[in-house]
Amino acid sequence: MFFQQFINGLTVGSVYALIALGYTMVYGILELINFAHGEIYMLGAYLGIIFFGFFTLTGLTSYSLSLSLALTIILSTAFCSAYGMTVERIAYRPLRNAPRLSPLISAIGMSIFLQNYVMLTQGATDKVFPHIFSTGGFTLFGATATHLQTVIILFSLVLMVSLHLFIRRTRMGKAMRATAQDRIMASLVGINVDTVIIVTFVIGSGLAAVAGIMVAMYYGLVNYSIGYMAGIKAFTAAVLGGIGSIPGAMFGGILLGLVESLGAGYISTEYKDAYAFMVLIVILLIRPSGIFKKSAEEKV
Amino acid sequence: MRRISTGTLLAFAFILIFSGCQKKDEVIRLGVAGPMTGDQAKMGTDFKNGVILAIEEWNSKGGVLGKKIEVMIADDQHDPKQAVSVANKLVNDGAAGIIGHFNSSCSIPASDVYNRSGIPMITPASTNPKLTEKGYKGVFRVCGRDDQQGKAGAEFVLQRLKLKKIAVIHDKTTYGQGLADEFMKQVSGKLDIVYYGGIVQGDKDFKTVLTSIKEKKPELIYFGGIYPEAGLLVRQARELGISTPFMSGDGVIDPKFIEIAGPKPAEGTYLTFSPDPKKFPTAGKFIETYEKRFGELGPYSVYAYDAANIFLTAMKEAGTKDGKAVIDKLHSMEFSGALGKIKFGEKGDVTIAPYVVWITREGKFVEHWKPGG
Repeated sequence: MFFQQFINGLTVGSVYALIALGYTMVYGILELINFAHGEIYMLGAYLGIIFFGFFTLTGLTSYSLSLSLALTIILSTAFCSAYGMTVERIAYRPLRNAPRLSPLISAIGMSIFLQNYVMLTQGATDKVFPHIFSTGGFTLFGATATHLQTVIILFSLVLMVSLHLFIRRTRMGKAMRATAQDRIMASLVGINVDTVIIVTFVIGSGLAAVAGIMVAMYYGLVNYSIGYMAGIKAFTAAVLGGIGSIPGAMFGGILLGLVESLGAGYISTEYKDAYAFMVLIVILLIRPSGIFKKSAEEKV
Repeated sequence: MRRISTGTLLAFAFILIFSGCQKKDEVIRLGVAGPMTGDQAKMGTDFKNGVILAIEEWNSKGGVLGKKIEVMIADDQHDPKQAVSVANKLVNDGAAGIIGHFNSSCSIPASDVYNRSGIPMITPASTNPKLTEKGYKGVFRVCGRDDQQGKAGAEFVLQRLKLKKIAVIHDKTTYGQGLADEFMKQVSGKLDIVYYGGIVQGDKDFKTVLTSIKEKKPELIYFGGIYPEAGLLVRQARELGISTPFMSGDGVIDPKFIEIAGPKPAEGTYLTFSPDPKKFPTAGKFIETYEKRFGELGPYSVYAYDAANIFLTAMKEAGTKDGKAVIDKLHSMEFSGALGKIKFGEKGDVTIAPYVVWITREGKFVEHWKPGG
């Protein structure tokens, strides 16, 4: 049972980690908690269903399943990045120098708007992602990991490693780290802060979109309200790891998934959602700034 | 637009106040309450459509008591708090009677409001026993009760399947947990319950619960709840390699269940529900009209249609729209509708509530077993 719960937790945890990265990156650079981020994940799930449905209608799916899946992921990610950018442009940029509470309220407003926008345009009923994956998988120590679970875990890992390399090894990554340390100094040494912020939102939203599509495929069921709980959990994961820290978000997400799944497995399933928050409280009591955050300077 | 005088504002306020009060007595208003939006919107829409058909038939024959009938549709979003507020609104808007609500968790608090105002309420679908155990005279249901449903399920498990080890899950709602507990009451002591626990309605990941259950190797998993969670449970169970059959109640008997679970994983799921309305000769005409107009018949459409007809017949026979007179008439009369003969017992439950066991076969629900069979 332990391995099965471990695999279950790892799958859910990878998804939390992908969403948490968006929270943490935006916080690192803008010191803003982007509450609309959970909705971007929900939009990703919806767009995934819409694009995949479109490819099924046009016959691409029966021609090549992997091609249509790849296209679905690319298109939904692109659309979500555009959504993320737009949210930044209309809801956060005008408030960049306003008191910190204003963009926060604006973020909550954006979240409510996006939820209702999807509810009104797509309807309030659950949308079902077609069953395209076999329920089979491979067995390890008596635990079954479905193919889709394996794909989710591996794909998330690849994305996280690439993000890490991007931040550590590229010019843009360096600019992002500089902006996170001090926005005004960064702009004085010639970094285009606006571009850096846009790139941050594009990457964060893209990761959330991928998480959304994978969840849509994994559970096969999506509705307009899934962004709320996922957003709260991912935010918890980000705080757990130390908000602003990228390895912290990855670690926090996976830890949260494992705690939920093992807590539910060994204690009681009725309080599954409570375990995550209990761990958060305990960690914050011991390390108020999160597990990975050492000091205010290292934000990204 | 910057300066609107106080006078204009007052004028608007008065228009708003008085426009709400007009025409109260020129029509008979019937409230339909249920989840019209949200993830259970399909259920609400199904029975709204049933009521609409009933009312159109009455109106084409000249209405009731010489007045036209008007439907007021209220959305409780399957939220008990919302249910109370829409109940108050329906009462204030002058509803003469209510067809609703869908969820027991909504019907029970809303029944307090209707009882206080003396308005009869007939629910087509709320099966929790507590609803009619409160001693309210004006609360009726045309469906069965969970204790009857749980009993039918238990009989099937004990006598037909002859199982020894089962697991029970519920969704912690009034309906889901209520049904699961009624079922438990009937089987406890007679077989081994290896797992009992709740899940959260609206959650999508049940693999942790299922993994705990898998270890215990039950021969059947009983679930008290609604179709979205049931669909996910069945699907995720099969992904974990659990081939144990599932059994559930009337909240799951919806084509969406099979769509969510997938036809293959859903195969062989047992569901307790009333007999197929399509087998009632009396329902044929209604079903034909319904399907021509709204598409496939929902599980509770016929019940809603009959509930509306019963209410209007009682009002016609009472000769007044006064709540008390209509309630008395509802208690005393016998009605024959699409579901056959319906008579209310003292508590407002139907006197005969037959439950049968259905099974999913190749993506369709079919009747499978009758108690005593």
